[in-house]
Amino acid sequence: MVVFIRRYIIQFLTLVVAGVWLAIFQLPDSNLHIVACDVGQGDAILILKGSVQILTDGGPNKKVLDCLSEYIPFWDREIELVVSTHPDADHSTGLIDVVKRYNVGTFLANDLDVSTQVWQALKKEVGSAGVRVLHPTNGLKLRLGLIYLDILHPLEGFESAKTNEYSIVYVLKYGDFEGIFTGDINQMISDQLSVNSEIGTVDYIKIPHHGSKNGLTENLLKVLKPKIAVISVGKNSYGHPHEEILQMLKNSNAKLLRTDLKGDVRIATDGKEYWIY
Amino acid sequence: MSMKKSKTWLVFISLILLIIFRYFSAKPVYKNGDHIRITTTFLGGKIAGLSVFLPKYPEVSYGDKIVVEGTVENGKLVNAKIIQIAETKNIFYKFRQLLISFYQSTLPEPYAGLVGGIVLGVKGGLTSDFWERVKNTGVAHVVVASGMNVTFVASFLMGVATLFLPRRKAILFVILGIIMYLFISGFDAPLIRAAIMGSVAFSAQELGRLVTAWRALVFSALVMLLFNPNWITDIGFILSFVATASLLLFEKRIRERLSKVPEFFKEGLSTSFAAQIGVAPILFVTFGYFNILSPIINALVLWTVPAIMIFGAIGGILQSKLILYLSYPFLWWFSFVVTLFSS
Repeated sequence: MVVFIRRYIIQFLTLVVAGVWLAIFQLPDSNLHIVACDVGQGDAILILKGSVQILTDGGPNKKVLDCLSEYIPFWDREIELVVSTHPDADHSTGLIDVVKRYNVGTFLANDLDVSTQVWQALKKEVGSAGVRVLHPTNGLKLRLGLIYLDILHPLEGFESAKTNEYSIVYVLKYGDFEGIFTGDINQMISDQLSVNSEIGTVDYIKIPHHGSKNGLTENLLKVLKPKIAVISVGKNSYGHPHEEILQMLKNSNAKLLRTDLKGDVRIATDGKEYWIY
Repeated sequence: MSMKKSKTWLVFISLILLIIFRYFSAKPVYKNGDHIRITTTFLGGKIAGLSVFLPKYPEVSYGDKIVVEGTVENGKLVNAKIIQIAETKNIFYKFRQLLISFYQSTLPEPYAGLVGGIVLGVKGGLTSDFWERVKNTGVAHVVVASGMNVTFVASFLMGVATLFLPRRKAILFVILGIIMYLFISGFDAPLIRAAIMGSVAFSAQELGRLVTAWRALVFSALVMLLFNPNWITDIGFILSFVATASLLLFEKRIRERLSKVPEFFKEGLSTSFAAQIGVAPILFVTFGYFNILSPIINALVLWTVPAIMIFGAIGGILQSKLILYLSYPFLWWFSFVVTLFSS
């Protein structure tokens, strides 16, 4: 009997040790990471720093869950902030499962009543999970630890018939590092932003609208002068990314990274330097 | 032919006749172009004998009472629309839902989907990428409802029951436990087959009658076809029948030849080799895939299944994250092996 029990205790301890080692290998480092998840034709961008995660959009399907699993330690079930830039299905479908499975701290989204099944299902899920919901307001600035988010668009009272134009645009600041995330904004909004007094040069840009020609403009690119340009795109029938945009980026000397060619696009920064990995 | 033998034959022949009768009387009466509305309990798969592709949202959960509308076209319901969903009130389905959402809120994918698949036979929980991998490596039978689930539940319950009860009562306890497991995991064809086979074999053993496993297998298949004649064309049903038949035929012989293989892997290797002999040709013809390494991959992962099942089930029932975490190293290994061999 004693041998019997001893055997079980040893097995149990081996198991615990194995679990602890697996956990140690998943401990986050001290850098900020930005991962543009390869979710096919859509957007899902994960920002991580220590135990803080910010997810911007969830892509067109459940693939975002694989991305979250890969970069978030298995025991961390809290995503501090989810930004749903706009209601389109290729940005918001995956968020339904994210809200269902993770504890979302704050949900930042437009207060829009769009009748699509996906947006209604997402709203219902956010409501029943009791998540704190924030809507973009003029000059809204969020701070999570050492990460700052300045919301630039849309401003209060903004009205449009096109969901893309509501895309929440924000600048991420971490130390000296700056990145801009642009949802699916079109040329009109891009040009509006290019004269926004709060905008300056950035290190990183999430190219708007999967590289559609109705997205980024020469004016905005000139102001931002990004060093890294990321296009989140998959197989599609719209011709994304468009040749004009690719040419524009080539002329600007920004390093272009695409999720359809590279898979997850990952960069890390310590607040001074940044590197692609 | 002895009196006893001819009686057995009579039973089998009348069963077969009954099935043929049931098959034709249960055939759907819908004509192409019929616009129909069906009220049913959603159990996955076909609805009223028709293949249906339901829209992604609103999401329907297992056991929900739904009203679906659509047009019949060659055994399919096209343009299917969900008119109404009433959440299930059935306590077993609710319990199943409770376990699944506990797994999903405690573990990331693919681990949550793996536990759900191994403990309850839930297929839908896996992300499409991981499901492809699981199929390509030939371990899908582990993560969907299959005879293996029932075998593990039965042997685990038997082990627990014999600690407290005399053997005869223990068997009753196990059979009751299996019936409850069927309710919770849904009446999938492979589970019912294994449950019936297991119960027949268990009881026969206890009553001292010599019933060959072969006869139990054929008998259970016939009874199930009586219950639902459509299963005769269900690939899952055919696969589980063939897999069990090849186990009976080849497992022992293969195991005898694996004298040099360590005990640890032997059973996993011999059972999956044996099952593959019958199953591989069917898989190749119907799905066009077949993985020559499959028996080895199976041997590498199968030993983790009992542990995942036990920690998954106990963790789920007690809603204890810590207990569920104990399954994490096994789940990690399982997904590591599958990912390694599918890339």
